[in-house]
Amino acid sequence: MLVVVVGISHATAPLELRERLALDGPVALGVARDLQASGGACEAVALSTCNRTELYMYARDSLAAGQAALELLAGRAGCSPAALAPSTYSRSGEAAIAHLFRVVTSLDSMVLGEYQIVAQIREAYDSAREGGCTSVVFNRLFRHALEVGKRVRTETAIGEKPVSVSSAAVDLAEQVFGRLDDTTALIIGAGETGELTATHLRARGVRDILVTNRTFAAARDMGRRVGGHAVPFEELEGHLAAADIVISSTSAPHFVVTRERVQRAARRRRGRPLFFIDIAVPRDLDPAIADLDGTFLYDIDDLEHVVARNRAEREKEAVKAEAIVTEELTKVDAWLRTLEVVPTIATLREAVEQIRESELRRLGGRLADLDDDQRAQVELLTSSIVNKILHLPTVTMKEVAGRDECYLYVDAVRTLFGLNGNGSGTRDGHGEAVDGDAEPTEAGRAEPEGAGEPGAAAR
Amino acid sequence: MEQVSVISLWIALLLFGAAFALFIFHYLSRREQMNLRGVAVALAGWVALGVALVLRAAVAERLPIVGAYESLALITWFVVAVYLVLELFTQVKKLGLYVMPAAILFLGLAWSSYSAPAGLMPELQSDIVVLHVIVMFTAVGALYLAGCAALLYLVEERLLKRHRTGSVLGRLPSLATLDRLVYRATLIGVPFLTMGMVAGGIRAIAFGVEDWLVDPMVLLSLGAWALYLALLYGHLRGGWGGRRAAWLAVAGLAVMLVIRFAAVPYWSGFHTYGG
Repeated sequence: MLVVVVGISHATAPLELRERLALDGPVALGVARDLQASGGACEAVALSTCNRTELYMYARDSLAAGQAALELLAGRAGCSPAALAPSTYSRSGEAAIAHLFRVVTSLDSMVLGEYQIVAQIREAYDSAREGGCTSVVFNRLFRHALEVGKRVRTETAIGEKPVSVSSAAVDLAEQVFGRLDDTTALIIGAGETGELTATHLRARGVRDILVTNRTFAAARDMGRRVGGHAVPFEELEGHLAAADIVISSTSAPHFVVTRERVQRAARRRRGRPLFFIDIAVPRDLDPAIADLDGTFLYDIDDLEHVVARNRAEREKEAVKAEAIVTEELTKVDAWLRTLEVVPTIATLREAVEQIRESELRRLGGRLADLDDDQRAQVELLTSSIVNKILHLPTVTMKEVAGRDECYLYVDAVRTLFGLNGNGSGTRDGHGEAVDGDAEPTEAGRAEPEGAGEPGAAAR
Repeated sequence: MEQVSVISLWIALLLFGAAFALFIFHYLSRREQMNLRGVAVALAGWVALGVALVLRAAVAERLPIVGAYESLALITWFVVAVYLVLELFTQVKKLGLYVMPAAILFLGLAWSSYSAPAGLMPELQSDIVVLHVIVMFTAVGALYLAGCAALLYLVEERLLKRHRTGSVLGRLPSLATLDRLVYRATLIGVPFLTMGMVAGGIRAIAFGVEDWLVDPMVLLSLGAWALYLALLYGHLRGGWGGRRAAWLAVAGLAVMLVIRFAAVPYWSGFHTYGG
């Protein structure tokens, strides 16, 4: 019995193919059911995000299950399995579990440290569980994976600092204004990065978004999209007096906002700070603005610099995350190994035999009166009771050993007889993944997978 | 019992040191847990310091406000109290890193100027003196904090202007937070400072102290008071950036420190009990 995963991701397949293989909620559940019905998978979970589609299976014959999954994906993609194969990857056993852990911790993501993937895996797992596609192994494995995802985000700073220009800009704004719900943003120019930044600002609670553009219609359209409103370009100075955060991304060849304009507007600002972000090339904002009191000016280079440093920090944190994945992997591995029939029977017999012997020893004093023959009789009697009791479970387990669901029996026996006491089993295993003082990470700082590139953000 | 009090103060000093170490670790690793642990340890230190002060008061059979040892320990207690209130009950977070060194410094100074508990000299045995001192300590705690927040504001503003974001982002409270803290702490401190000065004046008049109004300490206090009033006025009127308020608070802090460490022990003609 092995865990198997077959999938495609941003690393192996182009967007166009990933789109064809995207599985939304009910479809994903249907795929998992198909794998169970025809692919020889005992348990199955189908995960689909904008950057990956992956089928996880727990199967007796990992090769057959992998092949069935590939065929299923090929059918959905509308091509032959042989044509699809180069764009997919397939792992089994420990490598498959390691893959799941690396995915949930975002180590396999396009944007290292993004948090969305945890929710996406939880969703995929919940849907499969409610649809009856998971059981002992995947219930344990996926819960463990989610804990690993949480642990990595609690114990490392992998997702802490923003790695996209737009969210770095928003972070800087927060450093000046604290919470943004009392601030107004002014977007000059209807460019894409400006819009993305406006979306981020909106998500962080900015109170009002003003959009202005030389062509009023473009401003109006964008204002509608980001939940703000368009204002006339001619009254820029008035808007500068009203805004706290100014983001400029026009294609103008000269400075759109000069030092003098800001100075005039500043008189009406009563000392409130003004935060400028220039994401245009050539620049829109006069660098001399930065010399004024209470103004902060960042251009695209400054932001790229922040992003590059943050990315380097995330990569440093990724090393720690890999170590956590390795550590957690050994825990799951040890548990999975216990789900084998033959060693379980041996352990069961051993455990019961130990009980018999210790009970006999405990009675040792009272049996002292017996002669050797009588003592042999007692030995025989107790042994035969033990053997009789164990006979049916042993035979039944050997019988089911050939079936797919055998590990369910093994798990039941191990739980009922408490055979997991060697530190790797179910009973103490349930708690060990949960860090005692784990706390929720700052989900607000997380970015969706692919937040760095506007095109991929749309799912 | 005096020994227990001194040991308790020593424990407080150690705990503040441990909290400081945790805050440094939090700054470097940016793990929220470290800040929480630091706050817990600082709270323990604050309790230990409180115990030390209560025991000292019990031994001397009066409030622990006489001499440098007692007054510095009491100031530390007030400063840490204000910090803990902010950290635990408001959105102003992550100040431990900056408050702890000050607390350690003050407590260390107190430690180095230890004196055995003595009874109250007859001049100080009056209700109005007790009121004056308690009110002043509250004012000093709040205004020191305002000054520290203002210093931090000026440093952070400069770093942000120069795009030195690495040492700022996620590590320092936002400028808005610090600005609010400067204003609020001053708003708490000024009424107490006013009350304390009025009480001091009444005491001086009632006992016929000569030339009290031109005493260097009194003059400096009036100067600090004017600075803080200007700060509050500017904030209420609006139109003053956080920067100007921060400079005023820093100037106020400088005057307050001169009063505490130069005027009270050396220059003042009559006000030397606290030194």
